[in-house]
Amino acid sequence: MEAILDIIYAGFQTILNAGSLVMLPIIITLIGLIFGVKFSKAFKSGVTIAIGFAGINLVVNLLKSNIGPAAQAMVQNFGINLDIIDVGWGAIASVTWASPIIAILVFEILFINIVMLTFKLTDTMDVDIWNYHHMAIVGIMVYFSTNSVFLAMGASAVMAVVTFKLSDWTQPLVEKYFGIPDVSLPTVSAVSSVIIAAPMNWLIDRIPVINKIDFSISSAKKYLGFFGEPMMLGIILGVGIGLLAKYDLAQSFNLGVNMAAVMVLIPKMTSLFMEGLMPISEAAKKFTQSRFKGRKLFIGLDAAVVVGNENVITTSLILTPLVIALAVILPGNRVLPFADLAVLTFRVALVVAICKGNLFRSIIIGLVTMAAVLLAGTITSPVLTALATSVGLQFDGGIASFAATALTESFLVFEAFTKNPMISIPVLLLVFGIVWFFMSKKKKVAQTEE
Amino acid sequence: MKRILIACGNGVATSTVVASKIKDKCEAEGIAVNVVQCKLLEVESKASDFDLLVTTGKYSNDDINIPVVGAIALLTGINEEETLENIVSHLK
Repeated sequence: MEAILDIIYAGFQTILNAGSLVMLPIIITLIGLIFGVKFSKAFKSGVTIAIGFAGINLVVNLLKSNIGPAAQAMVQNFGINLDIIDVGWGAIASVTWASPIIAILVFEILFINIVMLTFKLTDTMDVDIWNYHHMAIVGIMVYFSTNSVFLAMGASAVMAVVTFKLSDWTQPLVEKYFGIPDVSLPTVSAVSSVIIAAPMNWLIDRIPVINKIDFSISSAKKYLGFFGEPMMLGIILGVGIGLLAKYDLAQSFNLGVNMAAVMVLIPKMTSLFMEGLMPISEAAKKFTQSRFKGRKLFIGLDAAVVVGNENVITTSLILTPLVIALAVILPGNRVLPFADLAVLTFRVALVVAICKGNLFRSIIIGLVTMAAVLLAGTITSPVLTALATSVGLQFDGGIASFAATALTESFLVFEAFTKNPMISIPVLLLVFGIVWFFMSKKKKVAQTEE
Repeated sequence: MKRILIACGNGVATSTVVASKIKDKCEAEGIAVNVVQCKLLEVESKASDFDLLVTTGKYSNDDINIPVVGAIALLTGINEEETLENIVSHLK
């Protein structure tokens, strides 16, 4: 018996040591097979995802070799201490899928969703396997810090429960503000903002004079539209950083074009991940939908379906330069916003909905939300950087993003599970339980009023 | 060859799902298409080079002069066939 276990363990170690490009196809094929996907299809999925990983690695290397020296020069010239590079959510997602415990976490999250649906603890059916990476990364980072699979599973479980509930609670916004019925958004990068936005909006409602302020900028798109195009954003940032690094014009422009290349190429590489995961996601959808036939559920979708809203776009375009300025002046921040500036829309979508499109509030609350993201990104960068290095995504300096533990929800869960877990986990659960209690009371009141 | 622009929030996730379903459908119908994915924020500058714009969520923009189809149905799975037929009808 022991000999067999030894062989299994040795086999497992061999795969682990072989690196992400070998492990990814194996793990994804396995997940696919469990969901009933045909072997050939599951294997193709696995290889597609591994190709995506290889691609992201290439682009991150391009980013590293260009921006690393420039960021260092910027620190020396002007004391602008932004030495942690925002490599974007795509790179972080690739690290997540390359973790040895990802398979366990994916099934755990799906299992929790099914159990909560069965006991009517949530109405959100989340089969958007793709976006599980936001919940899984917290577990993976906890595993990396503590070496405990148990704590890792606990962290991802809390992420899942909190995310499903936040989706339930924000579903009326999706229906009423965005006009999409029967859909909720279990995308952590979107719902996480609610943790700051909901109380802040409540507070602003109660401050006289300020609660009346609103303005609209219809020309924002005309004048700031270029911030919405990754290519232009890359050029502007690259040239700007180049000049601050005291490069000459040609060198600065060279940096600009390279940064534009990174901005345009990262999403292309990341979409390979999505392509690979699709058959598995579809299989999970069929599996879960067949279990809850006839019951009215909210279908959990990627928040991408709401970010086309006019006010969300306007707010994001205005926030893009403001977030860059914020990064420079915010005490304690070291994150240089870059790749994820392209997905600010996700972070502000529900902020805008909570503010009912009030642009003044959306910008103020959006800035506070992003300040929290920058600081959490700075604090958790060492763990994220070490984790990325361990799966073969090398970077000389620190890395961060506007995803993973930079998001408020994920940051709180990660901190609770890694700093004094005996005290902070119960505190976290207690606070969440109280919010849950009040939200269900509020829902009952709303129902009787109707 | 008809050209379709498929846009979503980040040009990565939902647009990949929608693109792959449209490609399968067009292949089955024998329609040759060229599919390009992008971010919603890029639509305005790109749309004029395409015959059809498909968005994964709600999107309205008066400056867009090509037909626009919302394809959230391809994500939820509800009314998927009707939406695909609608998309195909714009390509014939």
